[in-house]
Amino acid sequence: MIPVLSREFLGILRSPRALAALLAAAVAFSLLVLARWPAGGIVDLSGAGSRGAFLVFAAALLGGVLLLVPAFPASSIVRERNQGTLLLLFNSPISAVGIYAGKFLGVLAFAGLVLCTTLPAAAAVYAMGGVDPWQQIGLLYAVIVVMATLSIAIGLLVSTRATSPDAAVRVTYGLVFAVAFLTLAPHALTRGTTGLSATIAEWLRRLSPLPVVMHLVGQGGAVGGGLLEKDAGVWQFIVGGLGLAAVLAVATILQLDHRLFDRSRDAGTITDDQSLWVRIVRRLVFLVDPQRRKAGIPVFLNPIMVKEFRTRRFGRFHWLLRLAAGCAVVSLLMTLAATNGTMDWGVETIGGLLVILQIGLVVLLTPSLAAGLIASERERGGWPLLQSTTLSGWRIASGKLASVAWTMLLVLAATLPGYLVMTTIKPTMWNQVMLALVSVLLAVAMTLALSAAIGAFHSRTAAATVTVYVVLMILYLGPLIIWAFRGDPFGEQVVRGALSITPLGAALSVIGMPGFTQYELIPIAWRIAGTICVASLIVYALQVWRLLRPE
Amino acid sequence: MNAPADPVLDIRNLTKKFGAFTALDNLTLSLRRGQILGFIGPNGAGKTTTIKILVGAMRPTSGTATIAGADCVRDARRIKRLVGFMPDSFGAYDNMRVREYLDFFGAAFGIPRGARAKRIDEVLETTGSGWMQDRYVEALSHGMKQRIGVARTLLHDPEMLILDEPANGLDPQARIEMRDLLLKLAGLGKTLIVTSHILPELSRICDVVAIITQGKLRAFGTLDQIMRDLRQKRTFEVQLCGPAQVETAAAAVREALEPGEREGVKAHATESLVRFDTARSDTELAAILAALVGRRIDVSQFREIPKDLEDAFLSVTRREAPAA
Repeated sequence: MIPVLSREFLGILRSPRALAALLAAAVAFSLLVLARWPAGGIVDLSGAGSRGAFLVFAAALLGGVLLLVPAFPASSIVRERNQGTLLLLFNSPISAVGIYAGKFLGVLAFAGLVLCTTLPAAAAVYAMGGVDPWQQIGLLYAVIVVMATLSIAIGLLVSTRATSPDAAVRVTYGLVFAVAFLTLAPHALTRGTTGLSATIAEWLRRLSPLPVVMHLVGQGGAVGGGLLEKDAGVWQFIVGGLGLAAVLAVATILQLDHRLFDRSRDAGTITDDQSLWVRIVRRLVFLVDPQRRKAGIPVFLNPIMVKEFRTRRFGRFHWLLRLAAGCAVVSLLMTLAATNGTMDWGVETIGGLLVILQIGLVVLLTPSLAAGLIASERERGGWPLLQSTTLSGWRIASGKLASVAWTMLLVLAATLPGYLVMTTIKPTMWNQVMLALVSVLLAVAMTLALSAAIGAFHSRTAAATVTVYVVLMILYLGPLIIWAFRGDPFGEQVVRGALSITPLGAALSVIGMPGFTQYELIPIAWRIAGTICVASLIVYALQVWRLLRPE
Repeated sequence: MNAPADPVLDIRNLTKKFGAFTALDNLTLSLRRGQILGFIGPNGAGKTTTIKILVGAMRPTSGTATIAGADCVRDARRIKRLVGFMPDSFGAYDNMRVREYLDFFGAAFGIPRGARAKRIDEVLETTGSGWMQDRYVEALSHGMKQRIGVARTLLHDPEMLILDEPANGLDPQARIEMRDLLLKLAGLGKTLIVTSHILPELSRICDVVAIITQGKLRAFGTLDQIMRDLRQKRTFEVQLCGPAQVETAAAAVREALEPGEREGVKAHATESLVRFDTARSDTELAAILAALVGRRIDVSQFREIPKDLEDAFLSVTRREAPAA
């Protein structure tokens, strides 16, 4: 175990992203203390200032763990398998448990190192007064360590099943965010009801660290429209989180053997060669059969765009149809929930949730599609081949962007039925919906351009994906966290400025989402998004040009 | 070797420097249409740098390189049409079948859809890969991928093919198939530049060979010309009827040779033979044979060991090694 642990830990420490993570954590938390440290020589006997600082500290700590930790375990096993070193480990005297423990503890040690850089800030928050060192700060660290443990367990399990590091990173981030945020949704939907579904929803809620952290910072029930109210169950989260991590660890260890390599090559079955009966059934099941023989790429289409669709697992048409159908169903269900009277949310809240659903899809899907546009070519050896073709830089750059843009537009279009129902119920909302949709479209453009531009500077898809996710999470979640703490410690101007950074705040504001209506964010948010979009596109184009020109 | 009258490839004084490091130093060579050039050299010799300049992926510091009259720097777009390039990495795309993969590259070269389908059939037929057209690219074996790589380079019917290590990692059977494929392509009138570390394979198919070390061209020409130019000693073997006379025969050979050559005489009792290197003429060698027979040594064979590309390569690289 020790050799694996030391190699994993040192390997992480040697990577540039680890250095960036440590530096970012140290700088961010130092700035936090500097910003909140009483400078006027007046003692804050009420402790309000300290508690305000503790709020931001806790949110930043949780955000940091959610953003930084999953990237490392996610690529850990799959990269070793692809490089062939995992087989060497299996042939060494180290057992599967030893390999797992080495990897697990290696990443956990790094997470611990990151947390250590935050200790001075925690000490400073304590020194400000009004915060209990054990019942608040100590338990907060315990919760964060449990969340890190759970993230690592999820990442390692995904890494054993994934076929590429970037896919593992995407799935891990998706699952970690699902544990942190989506587990709250069933509770919100079943609130006020009793029965089995409400009990299950309550248990699911216990898996999310959000209510616990909010409770520890003394904000339980203050934010999230009641999502985080009641007893937060700190110990239940700790025990539940560790229990789930243990289950995931056992599941991973059981898979860590030679069977990981026991996967036969795809024989390349093609539907065209199957019987008529099989072809009919497949047509009915898939609508667009992924295993049919494709016609050649039409001359009027950009071949790069078609290639991107075809090489993407979820770019195949049958997957796009499923994704669009799923989005349409969710969007309609949300609207239905508002109209059948079982919830007292109102059309504006539903509109706001639709906007959040759309932007959530944009932030979740766009980096996974756009971050690796250039990096994957460089990583897999496709770039020299593209260079050797007669395709111009413009065709390559635009084809790649178009492949993501069409996908995202299709997904967003699938969420439109919800808006249609809304405007039917309340026709006066038409103008608001239009403005919100423009904001969402701008969010797509900005996210796509930014993802492509950042990703183009990487030569590894997994690293590109992680970087883009971190940047986007900061851009989109940061303002929402600041908004959540509006009034204390953040003032009106700070909240308005933060919400202007992305079109999300503007969309929520115009749709009339409670809590956002007082902010006038259009057109400033649109201008900022447009500027970021154009600047990112220029950077992306320049990078493609630079990579294509002779060395 | 004199420059061919109508060179399809003409490289003159090609130099590439990375700061103080000279990766390519005054490379000059030319190639006739339909020839196969074996481009060999140890790792870091400058082969890939040369190839990158030829395909327009790198600019030389000085010198020129033209392919069928097109300058590799100024006519980059024309070069792409003239050259089919297969790098040492395959460049696989996930979830893509072989036919889709070739279709994409055909479309990237602007081949119309109808003509493209026909052309894909042709290149699959040429490379013997038709049966794998529905396979997923990432699921192919290394040998299959190399075949598809060659098929890809042929799609736009280029005049010249540049193949970087096409036989690398192939099993013996696949190497033979690759060799036959390259000969087939030469038969189709393609000019080929092939780099390889598997020298016996190259020596069997190449019309001309260029040996490069430390960025400098050390030898260029047909294999025979290179061997002659190297002026190295020839190796001979005296096969005896039994091991008893091996030491006597070795002593007789030593006596007949110049003092500087005597250390190279090796007696192999288990194989019943004596091996030696000498720069002596055939007449002088006849005298050595006569001396052996005169001493009643039972000689069953007296033969020259033919030098191959591997020997020439080692001879050149060892000669240049002290300068490194």
